[in-house]
Amino acid sequence: MVAGKTKRQFNRITLYIVIILLCLIFFYPAFVVFANSLRSYTSTSTLFFNGFHWKNYLLAVTMIPFGSYLLHSLAIAGISVIGTTMMSGVVGFGFARLYGPGKNVLFIIILATMMLPGIVTQVPQFLIYHRIGFINTYWPWVVGAIGGSPFFIFLYKQFFSNIPKEMEEAARIDGCSTFGIFLRIFIPVSVPVITTVAVMTFQGSWGDAMSPFMYLSSNMWPLATALISATYTLNGNANVVLYPVLEAAAIIFAVPSIITFFVGQRYLVEGIVTTGLKG
Amino acid sequence: MGQVAIEQSVVQKARPKIRLLPRKQSKRRALEFYLFISPWFIVFVLFGIIPMLWGLYLSFTNYTGYNFSHLRFIGAENYHLVFTDSQAMQALARTAVLTFIGVPLGVIIGFLLAVLLNNKVKGLSMYRTIFYLPAILPTVASGLIWQMMYQTDGGILNTLFGFFGMKPIDWMGYGMAQPSFIISGLWGAGGGLMIYLAGLKGIPQSLIESASIDGANYWRQFIHITIPLMTPILFFNLLMGLIGSFQNFLQPLLLTGLSLTGDPIQPIYLYMNHAWINIFVFDRFGYGLALLWVLFAVILIFALIVFWSQKYWVHYESGED
Repeated sequence: MVAGKTKRQFNRITLYIVIILLCLIFFYPAFVVFANSLRSYTSTSTLFFNGFHWKNYLLAVTMIPFGSYLLHSLAIAGISVIGTTMMSGVVGFGFARLYGPGKNVLFIIILATMMLPGIVTQVPQFLIYHRIGFINTYWPWVVGAIGGSPFFIFLYKQFFSNIPKEMEEAARIDGCSTFGIFLRIFIPVSVPVITTVAVMTFQGSWGDAMSPFMYLSSNMWPLATALISATYTLNGNANVVLYPVLEAAAIIFAVPSIITFFVGQRYLVEGIVTTGLKG
Repeated sequence: MGQVAIEQSVVQKARPKIRLLPRKQSKRRALEFYLFISPWFIVFVLFGIIPMLWGLYLSFTNYTGYNFSHLRFIGAENYHLVFTDSQAMQALARTAVLTFIGVPLGVIIGFLLAVLLNNKVKGLSMYRTIFYLPAILPTVASGLIWQMMYQTDGGILNTLFGFFGMKPIDWMGYGMAQPSFIISGLWGAGGGLMIYLAGLKGIPQSLIESASIDGANYWRQFIHITIPLMTPILFFNLLMGLIGSFQNFLQPLLLTGLSLTGDPIQPIYLYMNHAWINIFVFDRFGYGLALLWVLFAVILIFALIVFWSQKYWVHYESGED
């Protein structure tokens, strides 16, 4: 018995050592880039904090038209989050709770488009948008938001299908319209899935660099697209790239994604688990 | 993540329908159904189906972006060109190899991380967040992070290795670029963690207990209970990872600091980079669309192979055994 207990304790300790080592490995790249974003740009790369030059962050937002890029990022993310979250919910409700001929086929189409590589439609879409004058406008995002997203429609559908029928029937007897039922009965109990969709849409649209590259001219780019080719170079010498400043910019850019994750974390887990796994 | 759910919803559909409502009311119900799904349907047709078909048509023409008045139908010439374009074919092979190594590795590592954390460890949420963090960073941010890590001259990794007395390594050079590329991708392996953890939690405790009573040790339980019950989730992540990886475009661009566009003979010049350059740099729209349709066909074939392979390794609860 004593030997068994010692062995179990040894196993526990090994487990923690392995986990903590892995955590260090996974965390180090993010940490070291943060440390480097605070080094003086005259020093070489550092492995730990060797100074706190917060000025790099100021340079990151002043050396390029950062504010303008940020506004475009916010506009794109705002349109996408509000539109996609709402419209996917409406469509998901239709598939979960309403009936009409052809419903099965339509739902299989949704599942199929989930698997479709996005790029095959994106470039032809660009050509269509070009023809109808959507280039250099936010219309592509508005249109995309109205259509919702197949994966989120699927998530909503799964979630709504689990809501007991009694609530819906009671409301219907009281004379509530279908849209009223959706708005007053389904939406209030769907906070986990709504948050999941909103957070995932935000992260997707905030990080999307390719669509803006296609649809917008460079003065309308959001941060994601702009940072790919951002030039943080020494004044007067374009060959000297100020890496700490670029690192600072990358970190500023990543912060909203991290914040939305923490805000939505609890629901994100719940939303994915209840909708994606149990069905 | 939704594989189980997808299966179930398809199965549910197969049940016979019972008419519960009078005809007039059911007609109204149907109208309401169409009304609710119309936003998706209209956008899907106008900006999904139509562009796709139009794009398919254009891939058989000499379209260059502005020659609409002189559009010429050139048959399968663009497609013939794709298969004789050695850059495209090499890039496709390269993309496939990197996908077949990187995606399964990512799935396995993500799954093993979840297995480690499923041992009732203290501080679970902290570890979970650390493993998950790289996956929530925007690609542009993580790409720039690895660009800094991999720089040959004064890059972070070389500084770290130099600290241990090692010579600087040319991470993005011929010999190392592909492994470096895969490692930077594996940094995001924690992306599936939440789903794996939820799946592991869903394994019935009674199964584990009866196995221990029968004398199965941890390792045998893992092989015979945990892995089989997790295969539907692993399958789904593998499939989605595969589809995504074939379309990878940004990561090579960011890792090499845009130098890809200048020199196409590079170890991580991927198929999408080639298509992109042909479309947006050389304005070869017709040819570029043909490149994309070939990619679509390739992805479809591999996705079907993975689907077909299910019967050999994916375990579904049938209720019969």
